[in-house]
Amino acid sequence: MAKPKISSDWLAGCAGCHMSLLDIDERIVEIAELADLRAMPITDLKEPDEDGVDVGILEGGVNNSANEEVAHRMRSRCKILVALGDCAVFGGVPAMRNFFEMNEALRRAYVETESTDEEGRIPDDPELARMEKTRALHEVVPVDVFVPGCPPDPDVIYYVLNELAQGRIPEIKDEKLHWH
Amino acid sequence: MISITIDGKNVEVPSGSTVLEAARQAGVHIPTLCDHPSLKPYGGCRLCVVEVEGMRTLQASCTLPVNQGMVVHTQTPRVTRARQFVLDLIFSERNHFCMYCQKTGGDCELQNAAYELDMTHWPLQPGWSPFPVDASNPYFVFDHNRCILCRRCVRACAELVGVSTLGVENRGASSMVVADYGLPIGESTCVSCGVCVQICPTGALIDRTSAYLGKEVTASRVADICLGCSLGCGIELLVHEDRVLRVDGDWSAPVSGGVICERGRYHSLTDEQERLHTPLVRRNGRLTPTGWEDALEEVARRLRPLRGAGQNGVAALASTRLPAEALNAFAQLFREALGSPVVTSSEEDRFLPGPFERLDNRLLDLEEAGCVLALQADLFASHPSAGFYLRRGLSAGGKLVLIDAQENSMAEVADVYARPQPGSEAALIQGILQAAAELGLLDSDLAPSAGSLSGVSRTTGVSAETIAAAARHIAPAHNLLIVFGSGLGDETAQALRTLAEIFEAKLFSPLGGANSRAAQQYCLKQPFTPAGCHAVYIALGDDQPAPDLLERVRDVPFLAVQASYASPLTEAADVVLPVETWTEQEGHYLNLEGRLQKTARATTAPAGVRSNLEVLDALAQAVGVKINPDWEAALFPDSPVTTGREP
Repeated sequence: MAKPKISSDWLAGCAGCHMSLLDIDERIVEIAELADLRAMPITDLKEPDEDGVDVGILEGGVNNSANEEVAHRMRSRCKILVALGDCAVFGGVPAMRNFFEMNEALRRAYVETESTDEEGRIPDDPELARMEKTRALHEVVPVDVFVPGCPPDPDVIYYVLNELAQGRIPEIKDEKLHWH
Repeated sequence: MISITIDGKNVEVPSGSTVLEAARQAGVHIPTLCDHPSLKPYGGCRLCVVEVEGMRTLQASCTLPVNQGMVVHTQTPRVTRARQFVLDLIFSERNHFCMYCQKTGGDCELQNAAYELDMTHWPLQPGWSPFPVDASNPYFVFDHNRCILCRRCVRACAELVGVSTLGVENRGASSMVVADYGLPIGESTCVSCGVCVQICPTGALIDRTSAYLGKEVTASRVADICLGCSLGCGIELLVHEDRVLRVDGDWSAPVSGGVICERGRYHSLTDEQERLHTPLVRRNGRLTPTGWEDALEEVARRLRPLRGAGQNGVAALASTRLPAEALNAFAQLFREALGSPVVTSSEEDRFLPGPFERLDNRLLDLEEAGCVLALQADLFASHPSAGFYLRRGLSAGGKLVLIDAQENSMAEVADVYARPQPGSEAALIQGILQAAAELGLLDSDLAPSAGSLSGVSRTTGVSAETIAAAARHIAPAHNLLIVFGSGLGDETAQALRTLAEIFEAKLFSPLGGANSRAAQQYCLKQPFTPAGCHAVYIALGDDQPAPDLLERVRDVPFLAVQASYASPLTEAADVVLPVETWTEQEGHYLNLEGRLQKTARATTAPAGVRSNLEVLDALAQAVGVKINPDWEAALFPDSPVTTGREP
């Protein structure tokens, strides 16, 4: 029987959840033996397989049209979608931008920054992703498994990958759910 | 007694109990958020809802009184769904970011409630409207993004502290906890007692000093006694890695029940003083570090020849922050063994009760009195937690008649406030008795003649109306309590005594510092007059020296100080002996009520530092005298002992 395929990507996140994933250390070899690790920010493949993967994992919240596209694409190409980390599960730190008007935030980032030496300009190239209110992943696409944490503990991530790699839905509760 | 059934278990509880109380007795766990053992049940969060057979809707168990034969179910799917929904709604209302909150990881009751229900996400996302963060108070921050509107802080401010600074304005989603009418909390009537911070279940109210320094769930809790004043409120020290993170009130303590004040909660931790680590002896004009043997011998060498030297002997002063064990040794060493002419405490003769055979000094009297007559005592300033007892009493309908020629912060809550000409207090008291007789509230032959009321008014500067108003509160009062401070003067004290006898009033005088009452019982109560003495010994402990103390001892040829911290006094001394601070020592304290309590050792003293008692014992040995270590016998020569924690 073919090994289950796992693909991941990151949206409005800091990559910390993927760093925590790498913190499972040598256990990644075990996971690689149980499952086929496909497109991930830490592998060379760029998109989840067109003919689909079994498990999709997304880190980060959805805060622009590009994130939205990636989220929809992953949802349509995977059977089980995992929201990894507080940003994907709740909105997380990027969601703090929601307290401000979009213009205010863009001005602060591109015009008023201390390192801007000439007149700052808010980028307006039509090819750029359109900024949106930051949303949790499940506000955009249906999510099957929520793994909260900032970042989630490597042991919890190992447990989740191990379960999914063996065709089971992980149960996040008690010690696996608690903040440490 | 009423019998009910909870989850199949039978339990018997007194009539008037709530279902929640019955569940706890039966060992059945019901999650709560707005409930707190020290507060009246509120029913605001609805997390404690249960199914009751025969009742159509779910009921809040915290406020539902038990009924004979009630059958309650706490774990049905309907109850679980309701609890889940309550939490969904709470999280969706405001902005709960766990990842950088000081309470995350076990200390947050909201997070714990969510974990109990295996919540991995928020089915209802918040609307992301920002809520204010009020950082105007120096001790804590109020972050309204994390507030769940349980009102524990509001209820504590009203029920426990009696100040009622906090309230809730607006309704529904616009509800906001506010201070006064919407002032920044640091500019409001808030007294910075911190009870709200301790009672807050989430990270909405955050203690600044202890934030991020260690979790409550991993720190140790040490029950202790505050040494800030003569009350000795029960506290709990949160200790982590041999360091005190925070002082909490002990909800179960007999003194104050956890309702402690700004001084006890914050001042003991926020000051930064230089700690003394080694004995110092002045040689060639400079204080040089040395060993204990050398330093003690240096003191003994100077004290030995002063034994029995009368007026030229050694003058000795001890801080009332020292434990009874040390005060006993101090009194014996200097008064009995060395025959010192001046042996006293840092309070000298300031807090002697005067011509009263006994003081009742029962804190609960402040709360239970129908009327409190306060004379020259400002509890809110000097003993704030005693002030909280009074405030609770006033909230319950008690009255306060305040007489003080000086400004007094209790004036803002007084029903009658009289400011007589200084020195005319006795006349005023007699005038009140006279007014009571004229109003028919008192047998006229009991009231000493004070001349006409208008005459009294002229003498004292207090209007006849005020005098009459005072009489109207005092005379018919149930449980009249007289509270008085120090420096009364004989005439005034006598007048007060007469009034107390006539109305069968109880008496309360707050005394001064932590071991004031013990110091008085050890006869450490003279004025401090070191003039003419050839040496001065000051057992300061971890206290701060009074600003004028150095001036008063400047001309004495030899000064030795045992202290925890460096100060201008230690810098001027000839010998300095380093001692433990209050968290490093074990010792007994007699509070103003006569209640004997003990401090606990919560942190380790630095190496080389000794306890106050050890230093005095070693000094006695060096001088060649014996001390009777039975501090307890000397403490209660006649009166009965009240010990430890009582219900």
